Amino acid sequence: MATDPSISLKIRTALAEYLKRDSATILTTQHLRDDLGLDSMAVIELLYRIEEAFDLQIPDQDLVGLTNVGHVVSYVEKRLEKTASAAPTKKPAKPSKPKGKKKS
Amino acid sequence: MRSRVVVTGLGIVSPIGIGVSDFWKAALAGQSGISAITSFDPFPMDGYRSKVAGQVRDFAVERFVDSAHGERVDRYAQFALVASKEALADSGLQMAKENPHRVGVIVGAGMGGMVMGEREITQLYQQQKPHRVHPNFIPVITLNSASGIIAMAYGAKGPNLTISTACSSSAHALGQALHSIREGRADVVITVGADASITPLVFAGFCSLRALSSKFNDHPEKASRPFDRLRDGFIMGEGAGTLILESAAHAKKRKARVYAEIAGYAATSEAYHMVIPREDGLEVAHTMRLALADAGVTPAQVDYINAHATSTTIGDAVEVRAIRRLFKSCADKITISATKSLIGHTLGAAGAIGGIASVLALHTGQIHPTANYDDPDPACALAGLSRSAQERRVKVALLNAFGFGSNNAAVVFKHVKRET
Repeated sequence: MATDPSISLKIRTALAEYLKRDSATILTTQHLRDDLGLDSMAVIELLYRIEEAFDLQIPDQDLVGLTNVGHVVSYVEKRLEKTASAAPTKKPAKPSKPKGKKKS
Repeated sequence: MRSRVVVTGLGIVSPIGIGVSDFWKAALAGQSGISAITSFDPFPMDGYRSKVAGQVRDFAVERFVDSAHGERVDRYAQFALVASKEALADSGLQMAKENPHRVGVIVGAGMGGMVMGEREITQLYQQQKPHRVHPNFIPVITLNSASGIIAMAYGAKGPNLTISTACSSSAHALGQALHSIREGRADVVITVGADASITPLVFAGFCSLRALSSKFNDHPEKASRPFDRLRDGFIMGEGAGTLILESAAHAKKRKARVYAEIAGYAATSEAYHMVIPREDGLEVAHTMRLALADAGVTPAQVDYINAHATSTTIGDAVEVRAIRRLFKSCADKITISATKSLIGHTLGAAGAIGGIASVLALHTGQIHPTANYDDPDPACALAGLSRSAQERRVKVALLNAFGFGSNNAAVVFKHVKRET
């Protein structure tokens, strides 16, 4: 499950749809802002789509590291892996997706 | 001496045409843009008392404007962008040659981004997932999204304002644009009215107010009938109108074609009732009087009135009463028409679209019909109303617009000889 190629494809497809270009032209090495031209609002919209596609909630503190396509892919992979094994997320801060109705 | 202000460009998105040429042809032919609302996807119209509206059909924003702007805003702002693109092209204004800080944008909008607004609110309440509210929700529903996106599309860095006074919003936008230029704060103001809120909740709200016509659901084209005896409420419409206003000196310098002068404006409040006008028409008459005085013309000089005339029982009668009160024996010499008879009530866009009809009357000498004025209501009778197009050399035109919240506006346009 950890390196599911469909995750990368799903993310690149979401980016391609947003940017109206062929997903084949989107590489994991590309920087979201410098190479793909996403401004900060566009990154937020992209993450909104990714949250929906993978049924995730990405907490604000995790946004900092998500600067290129590869970062986003590996972040989503890790999150899905941890969700699957029901373990807490990687950050020292609170887990990003508390289960149940607990308020945070 | 204060600067004179002229209209040099027009653009429109309406239920009877996208583009001024199509709109005007349809308007002169008395064509109705009112049709049945088939569904508010996903639910049917059964629970709505009124089932008809002036809808802009087959509108695809990407056919008209750059997706970087068009796709980031709600339908009303898309209409505003498209109307403004046409108006700017029509004016011949080249932004590259202008001082951008001298070009402003003033938009009148009554409801704003309700398409996305309603969708997001519904989803939030149904699904209770606050993290799934779209990141663009706030920028889209913010009421100045249209004035903002127009400025971004054209690099207009002058005064950027949005006026929201319900159904008179864009009449006030015209007035405030006139003031901005008169006061020397801008050379050019892209002046817009826009609304697109034929949406499940807003439509239901107007139904619940018992403000909409419900007798003509089977004959939509007959439903909007200002001043007619059988009128029973207004018809919601949607659209946008843009008028490029600029100082006469600026227009002359760049040898612009001038449609008309915008010469006077008045804004008042009846301080009376949220949705009901004063029945004696006193405040409406006062508003028209102030606008004419601002323009330096007498009531006897008015040739044409583009009436607010929404097709409500009380509103139309009050407007006629006010016209009789102010114009007295001249009232029956004035040619009058109701643009809403053709397209319904476009709310925040109504002032700008009525303004376009007024400017075209001055410019072409043709006045569009008042559709469905079949059986004149004695309470609204005026000799200058007709269900046919009329021809007249119009030198002074008056635009009326009244809005919920007890507010009134009137704008005066004047004919301009070929040379400004």
